[in-house]
Amino acid sequence: MGHVDRAREFVRDEARTRWHDESLWFVRAKRDLAADTVPDWEALRSQAAGIKREALTRLPALWREFEDQAHAAGAVVHWARDADEHNRVVAGLLEERDITRVVKSKSMLTEECGLNPFLEDRGIEIIDTDLGERIVQLRNESPSHIIMPAIHLKRGEIGELFHQEMDSPAGLDDPNELTAIARLDLRERFLAAEAGITGINFAVAETGSFVVVTNEGNADLGTALPRLHIACVGLEKIVPKARDLAPFLRLLARSATGQPISTYTSHFRSPRPAESGAGPAPELHIVVVDNGRSRLLAEPGFQEALACIRCGACLNTCPVYRRSGGHSYGTTIPGPIGSVLEPSRDPSAHAELPHACSLCGSCTDVCPVHVPLHHQLLTWRSHLARQGHHPRRRRWALGLAAVLFAKPALYRGVTRIGRGIARRLPTALLDKFGGAWTRQRELPPIPRRSFREQLADRESATTPRATVERKSR
Amino acid sequence: MSEARDTIFAALEAARPAGPDAPPAPMSGPPMPDAPFDVMASRLAQNGGRLVRSTRANWAQEIEWPRARADLEHLYSARRGGDARQSGDLACRGVGLITDDVHALAPLEVCILEAEFSVVENGASWHVPQSPQERAAALLAEHLVVLVAATEIVPSLHEAYARIDLFAGPFGWFLSGPSKTADIEQALVLGAHGPKTMQLVVLDDAHP
Repeated sequence: MGHVDRAREFVRDEARTRWHDESLWFVRAKRDLAADTVPDWEALRSQAAGIKREALTRLPALWREFEDQAHAAGAVVHWARDADEHNRVVAGLLEERDITRVVKSKSMLTEECGLNPFLEDRGIEIIDTDLGERIVQLRNESPSHIIMPAIHLKRGEIGELFHQEMDSPAGLDDPNELTAIARLDLRERFLAAEAGITGINFAVAETGSFVVVTNEGNADLGTALPRLHIACVGLEKIVPKARDLAPFLRLLARSATGQPISTYTSHFRSPRPAESGAGPAPELHIVVVDNGRSRLLAEPGFQEALACIRCGACLNTCPVYRRSGGHSYGTTIPGPIGSVLEPSRDPSAHAELPHACSLCGSCTDVCPVHVPLHHQLLTWRSHLARQGHHPRRRRWALGLAAVLFAKPALYRGVTRIGRGIARRLPTALLDKFGGAWTRQRELPPIPRRSFREQLADRESATTPRATVERKSR
Repeated sequence: MSEARDTIFAALEAARPAGPDAPPAPMSGPPMPDAPFDVMASRLAQNGGRLVRSTRANWAQEIEWPRARADLEHLYSARRGGDARQSGDLACRGVGLITDDVHALAPLEVCILEAEFSVVENGASWHVPQSPQERAAALLAEHLVVLVAATEIVPSLHEAYARIDLFAGPFGWFLSGPSKTADIEQALVLGAHGPKTMQLVVLDDAHP
């Protein structure tokens, strides 16, 4: 099943589609209001884009600096080439310490690597603590949005889920009540956890620090209580200097949810000091993951996508995402940025995603770090076509079009004959050839004469004087 | 492990992406607004927090307490200067006196912190916990009170990072508002996991 099929499932429920569309547009509108409060917004975007672009040209030097600094600060840095290696490093750290209860704050990287099932198979309990992620975890689903994982669900469905999974009374649908129920359940899990896993929003080469941003404070509770903190980070998430955090943090929350800043912006550098009394010494481990990022870095048309700071603004604004839902993409990261990143991971599985786009360019307009998203989606289409990933029918159709468009006389002849035939066929039959275009609309009547012929008629009908006047305008 | 490291660095070296030769010149932020505390109050309110302007002598009478101060069973106080744990009716009490296992702080009702400075543009305050207990208390307490001196404000994060020394310690954070979520149908709920309220008290002895 491809994106089109899954999107068709989603839009079958018209009321829900409209609701989903409006929910996301509401977030986009909040982003606009927040951006408008910052007079130097455009300068800020250019600044952030410039910092990332330059950083991407010298990742080896930056990561060496980070590693040295982190070691000096008492953290341990691990390297993982792919998802499996990442999972084995994390599992190894837990198993060496006989840890079986782990809390995790939201991290798209660990989603990408499939960490949860990997640990669960080894008998390690891993609890997602971001409320939205906890909800989708209880439903055995993946997040449908990178910062609002449960945006596809209605409050009543969440009430029903909590009733099933947490024995709350049936029929609850008040977000305050539901959050309170989840809070009680998760508080127990925070207190019982032996390790906390987090993602990383920004690693700082200069200091060996890293920044984790949340509104719920779940990354903080998950690392302030257990004595082992494992932070997982993709190769692209590094900035050179501490001062570089300023432009990114001014952009991130405003672009994501329209907030001036997230509630918790935490800067980690060393394991936390040991408390008095018995217990293992606190530890801080950082797992740096490639998993296709170095390959993307070598792709001239796509390396800028590595500047992405995962704010989700391109999802919120995308007319296709808003109306087809995150799950329709069938990827860890949906929406425009997902459609750029995922085909590099698996071209044959995700070749259709760059077509889930009207090329309206809204994603590029809102991207806080100037990733040229819709240009990249267009570039993907030709790349994937050349690699033979188009379905056969489209290959034939485009091959035919290429021949016709290259030879004007042939084009005129073929379309004249085509019009003649089409005018004699019943509409119902014609609609069958229209594919997706005629699924919900009818073809207009086929004209007898082509556009060029009609234009020529008009040109000759106008007086020479009028023609001159029009041309001089 | 080192094999993975070598492979990754080799791949990164081989990629040689195009890009600018030098980073952009650092930018400066917006200037200090005419009424900085009004801006701070409104930005903090967007995040569900409340700004209170008061004095060192009176703030405890002017902020909101979940119940009568004398009745609070569990209070954590991390005020700078002097031994805050011992000072009068704002001293640590109940589990707030605990100095070992951070888990035991779970029943905290109120936590009082002192921030180094606050950022006008986003209402966030920079805080460096002096102990694991101080950090855990800020997360486990139902109500958070952050004190900051009125003189210690910067217009934006650019000036903030000029002040912050990340080398100085293991951990530091910006706090802006209570723990919150909007993961259920975009409805804002305060108290997702941590504090349900957050008050930022700006201390200004010249304040009437």
